[in-house]
Amino acid sequence: MSRGLASNSKYSYNHLNGKGASEAIDVHDITVKKSRLRIFLSYFGAAVFLTATFYLVVLKELCISSIWSILVCFSLAKVLHHKPIKKESVVIMPAFGVQLETHYWSGRVTCRFVPISKILKPVLNECVTPVTCHWSLALILRDEDELMLVFQKLQPPVRMLVPVWKALCAASH
Amino acid sequence: MDQQRKHRILMVSDFFYPNFGGVESHIYYLSQCLLKLGHKVVVMTHAYGNRSGVRYVTNGLKVYYVPWRPFLMQNTLPTFYGTLPITRTILVREKISIVHGHQAFSTLCHEALMHARTMGYKIIFTDHSLYGFADVGSIHMNKVLQFTLADISQAICVSHTSKENTVLRSGITPERVFVIPNAVDTAMFSPAPIRLSCDEIVIIVVSRLVYRKGADLLVEVIPEVCHLFPNVRFVVGGDGPKRVRLEEMREKYSLQDRVEMLGAVPHSQVRSVLISGHIFLNSSLTEAFCIAILEAASCGLLTVSTRVGGVPEVLPDDMIVLAEPDPGDMVHAIGKAIHMLPNINPHVMHSRMKKLYSWHDVAKRTETVYNCALQSTDENLLQRLPRYLKCGTWAGKLFGLVMIVNFLLWRLLELWQPAESIEEVPDLVLFQNEHEEPMQDFVEARD
Repeated sequence: MSRGLASNSKYSYNHLNGKGASEAIDVHDITVKKSRLRIFLSYFGAAVFLTATFYLVVLKELCISSIWSILVCFSLAKVLHHKPIKKESVVIMPAFGVQLETHYWSGRVTCRFVPISKILKPVLNECVTPVTCHWSLALILRDEDELMLVFQKLQPPVRMLVPVWKALCAASH
Repeated sequence: MDQQRKHRILMVSDFFYPNFGGVESHIYYLSQCLLKLGHKVVVMTHAYGNRSGVRYVTNGLKVYYVPWRPFLMQNTLPTFYGTLPITRTILVREKISIVHGHQAFSTLCHEALMHARTMGYKIIFTDHSLYGFADVGSIHMNKVLQFTLADISQAICVSHTSKENTVLRSGITPERVFVIPNAVDTAMFSPAPIRLSCDEIVIIVVSRLVYRKGADLLVEVIPEVCHLFPNVRFVVGGDGPKRVRLEEMREKYSLQDRVEMLGAVPHSQVRSVLISGHIFLNSSLTEAFCIAILEAASCGLLTVSTRVGGVPEVLPDDMIVLAEPDPGDMVHAIGKAIHMLPNINPHVMHSRMKKLYSWHDVAKRTETVYNCALQSTDENLLQRLPRYLKCGTWAGKLFGLVMIVNFLLWRLLELWQPAESIEEVPDLVLFQNEHEEPMQDFVEARD
């Protein structure tokens, strides 16, 4: 069974419950929404960058404006290039462990497995960077100095993190 | 207190715990008392070593240790606009209504007040120090202060001398400046249970051994006092560049048995040092208030101090002996204090200090300033710009330009990340019952 629980301009949250034999398995997905404007701008930046490079290579005219346009367009393409992450998932298997998955648009998936015995406590944490503050969900692990972030690449809003935190609390007790 | 009178205050300064000093103590104790009065208080400071991010201290006081590294004398690098995104985020997510900056020397304070004013918040500034008018550093600082105070809701000074100094330096109208003195935690600074014998008189000095604190004056005063009064012994607590001069003086006059050098004293140990003596000696050359005098008086010590800055306003005449910052006059004042000692009762002095100086009273008076600030009219950028233009022929235009750019950057941030997209933080509720779910309010607020 799947149900979309929350959504905003950047992310959507889905909670999947298995049925039958795997009924206990609990999957929480945070999916990145594609921004059409962002994709258009990144492709536009890339196109202008390629045009400027082609102009420089074919005509072999090394002028300040062409170098400047290459740098600007490359920066634009780089900054606006949509994140390669498609979604991040938390697969909770009670009495067994938690699997943290990162899905890329390329199809590549990276997984991290944390045994249930190693989880001391899941915590909702406020992260402060030099420019902003955001909520994060982390695991306090036994015999580890540092917290393990549940969503390593994404920064979903707290209303999407709370149900995952609740599920992790229930599984780790 | 009705709901409308409950404020949401952001205290901003580069100076906060784990650093120790007058400003740090002031922010901490004031915040604690404001929390008790039912207000919400959040502190914003820079990161100290690996202490960064959000920390909660006593009574749920929330502290944002922003990961901006200090570059000079515990101050963050002045960037004008670098702190705008984080300041805006904190102001929005904590639903702040008043921004209270502390200390003229704090870069973070000036920048946060500038951003808060741009965003239309009411701002208060507390000045904790006295500054000169002649040297390059003071001229620069006074211009920065003039910029910050040009468009401030209210200002607070810790003494009348400090108020006069601030008004002269910044050009702010005196009507907008309130005087609220510092206080002392009398519970922490209590006298020794048993009164010390006066057979041997111990004079205590606890301060940073720097020029401003009159360390050079001590070098001349101590040998003279030791020569005139054979039953006097000195205990010097503190460290700094002038410690070497004191060590040399001790060697020169062979006073090793009569002058004890303790080195740096942790704040938790200050009381135990104070109660081991009879007289507290303060030799500062400039001081807006001097909390050290209050701490000493609370411990029942008679104070001898230089008559500088706001010091004469701090204690009643029978609890302090004042002298000019001159070695001869200081020695004379110490002699006078020694003769007064038999009439001093430390416990009576402590009781008087309890009545005279309380942080609760400071908080109540600060609350009045907040109420005043909130009653002031809201103005847009065009109405506020002329105030900056009055700051000087060239400086005024520069200040105006800085504010215009800040306003444009803020509007740009509003487009990039609208205030509605910044998640508001639920208020922390301290639980008495350990079986209660500490995240329940949080979860209910979000579900």
